[in-house]
Amino acid sequence: MTELDCEQVLQLVWKFLDGEMDETRYLEIQAHVAACAECGPRYQFQRRLLALVELKCREGPVPTELKRRLFRLLEE
Amino acid sequence: MGATVLASQTAPVTADDRERFQALAEEHLDSLFRAALRLTRNRTRAEDLLQETFLRAWRSFHTFKPGTNARAWLYKILMNAYIDGYRKATREPEIVDHEDVDEFYLYTKVQESDDFRRAGDPEEVLLARLMDADVKGALDSLPDAFREVVILADIEGFSYKEIADLLGIPIGTVMSRLHRGRRQLQVKLWEYAKRAHYVSADKPPAGGGGR
Ligand SMILES: [Zn+2]
Repeated sequence: MTELDCEQVLQLVWKFLDGEMDETRYLEIQAHVAACAECGPRYQFQRRLLALVELKCREGPVPTELKRRLFRLLEE
Repeated sequence: MGATVLASQTAPVTADDRERFQALAEEHLDSLFRAALRLTRNRTRAEDLLQETFLRAWRSFHTFKPGTNARAWLYKILMNAYIDGYRKATREPEIVDHEDVDEFYLYTKVQESDDFRRAGDPEEVLLARLMDADVKGALDSLPDAFREVVILADIEGFSYKEIADLLGIPIGTVMSRLHRGRRQLQVKLWEYAKRAHYVSADKPPAGGGGR
């Protein structure tokens, strides 16, 4: 496997963040973004962006009344 | 329907079934509801979708094999109920792909913005400025086909393969929709961030100035 250049690393950032990558490539990209002034900040930003989306879309538990209604359906 | 009738004839529901199903539902109901809220973009419809999912799951509970992935099984039922009743009949979406938008749109915009650069940590300032309603609003604005994969990947945490199974589409399609969805999401988030920024920039600095 040939070493990736910056452009290739940046193309793989989503897959890397999604954990959709074999271990060798994963380790290579991890080392690259840790050391590269070009890719590092971009990678960090995307990581925080994904975390933000997850965080901001959190919801509370199912309303108690709805839950009660659902479980009552099982008795029928 | 025929299968349901047959099943209920051959395998009457026992109290034990009901208990096992309740435990399963109890564990996954909150996250199913969160997904339903994002998918339908509406609380009332989300409650209806959750109920439909719950009933379908209960009716087909005899097909669930204990020890297999319960979450994937339930989300498959959720997505089918959603597609049957809530999604507009979508063909392959009409794509308005912004040509000039790359994967790092938001990062680049912040870097290019003098206003944001004046802040010590511009990226931090940008992300801190985005409110729950901004992120949800940006997500809601995406075309359905993009929205679904972004919800399943970025909020519900499913893998590409799992999403492919949930939606019955190839993995390559999942990836391309996810990447395009994330690009459009960034375009929308930048609009919100700019708006929030200008609003706060118009205000006098906190505690400053004799007004
Ligand atoms: Zn690099």
